[in-house]
Amino acid sequence: MVTKTEESQVNRLENQVDNGGGGAWEYLCLVRKLKVRRSDKVLKHGLSILNDPKKRSTLGPDEWTLYEQVAVAAMDCHTLDVAKDCIKVLQKKFPESKRVGRLEAMLLEAKGSWAEAEKAYSSLLEENPLDQVIHKRMVAMARAQGNISGAIEWLNKYLEIFMADHDAWRELAEIYASLQMYKQAAFCYEELILSQPTVSLYHLSYADVLYTLGGLENIQTAKKYYSSTVELTGGKNIRALFGICLCSAAIAQLAKGRSKEEKESPELHSLAALALEKDYKQRAPGKLPLLITTLKSLKIS
Amino acid sequence: MGLGFFVGVFGVLILSHAAYSTIQYRSLLKIMEEEFSGPPMNVVAELLLGLVLCMWAGLTVPGQFLSIHPDSDDNRIVSLPANLDFMIFNHRGKVFASEMDMKLKH
Repeated sequence: MVTKTEESQVNRLENQVDNGGGGAWEYLCLVRKLKVRRSDKVLKHGLSILNDPKKRSTLGPDEWTLYEQVAVAAMDCHTLDVAKDCIKVLQKKFPESKRVGRLEAMLLEAKGSWAEAEKAYSSLLEENPLDQVIHKRMVAMARAQGNISGAIEWLNKYLEIFMADHDAWRELAEIYASLQMYKQAAFCYEELILSQPTVSLYHLSYADVLYTLGGLENIQTAKKYYSSTVELTGGKNIRALFGICLCSAAIAQLAKGRSKEEKESPELHSLAALALEKDYKQRAPGKLPLLITTLKSLKIS
Repeated sequence: MGLGFFVGVFGVLILSHAAYSTIQYRSLLKIMEEEFSGPPMNVVAELLLGLVLCMWAGLTVPGQFLSIHPDSDDNRIVSLPANLDFMIFNHRGKVFASEMDMKLKH
């Protein structure tokens, strides 16, 4: 999870490193810790450390972690020569290591030789059938080849064994959402909210999915989850505020025919609109008229 | 650390002095054969002062307080980590070959 402070810290360090201010190693550590995907920067700055023998020797045993990080970043940037060299160095240092074996299989994957990669992964799985990362790589590989239904099948099998793995639940939710299978995606997000109830972004995604599903009941639930997002973020999530406005408008439209439905409180809607206006006034005054006309059109419909 | 730590030590010393004077007072009462009605004023004052000093030291020495509000900047999650275990490599980046000629030199 990347909090606001950590995000600004990463951005500050990245700026500093890009402008030659030093601190490359701290930046790389932070990127690794927060698991953000900034492969081009990692490749550039990681290589500059690895190519400097003096800097490299000060790292001590962390040097090998850096090799691994740079190798993965290089694969992501499709500079396969660098990845190959890094893996070669690691292979020399740690022969017989499964972690290096995994990197080699990933290199095959990056090259696009799927059959060989799959063979490498399955031989690794034979040695250790409960290696979570390799199971995940199998899923990713199926997805990379465009075999989405295969990926879903793998992922479901994986989640039957490792039910507490929220990253996998999130991946499954995203795959389902990309296939417009919103009911299944909603189930995954429910699972995520259950396991990590304080993460506002899961509430937000769940509300998004419910709103997309449509129907009065779903939209009412979506509004509740947008509200819980607002509560967890202290009203600093613009998307949730817009979501409340949209849900209120949709509910008003859907409930027009049925007067027996209990009246929704109008306060939430107007408060969300107020918060939006305040935020726009502060951060993007130029866009304020646009926002006001949008909100007006929502209120009428 | 410095100031808070010494204040804490001073508070503990005051508390032990209070204990010592209480014991002394009890033995004095035994000699004078009087009933124990309550601790003397100076012991009570010492106890209160020791309490305040120790509490202040205990709150400042261990470190800064962390926010427990879910919406504070320290706790508010703005983005989820990229799912690196599920990273796939055949994306648009392939088309944009990196402009630098990067090489691992050894």
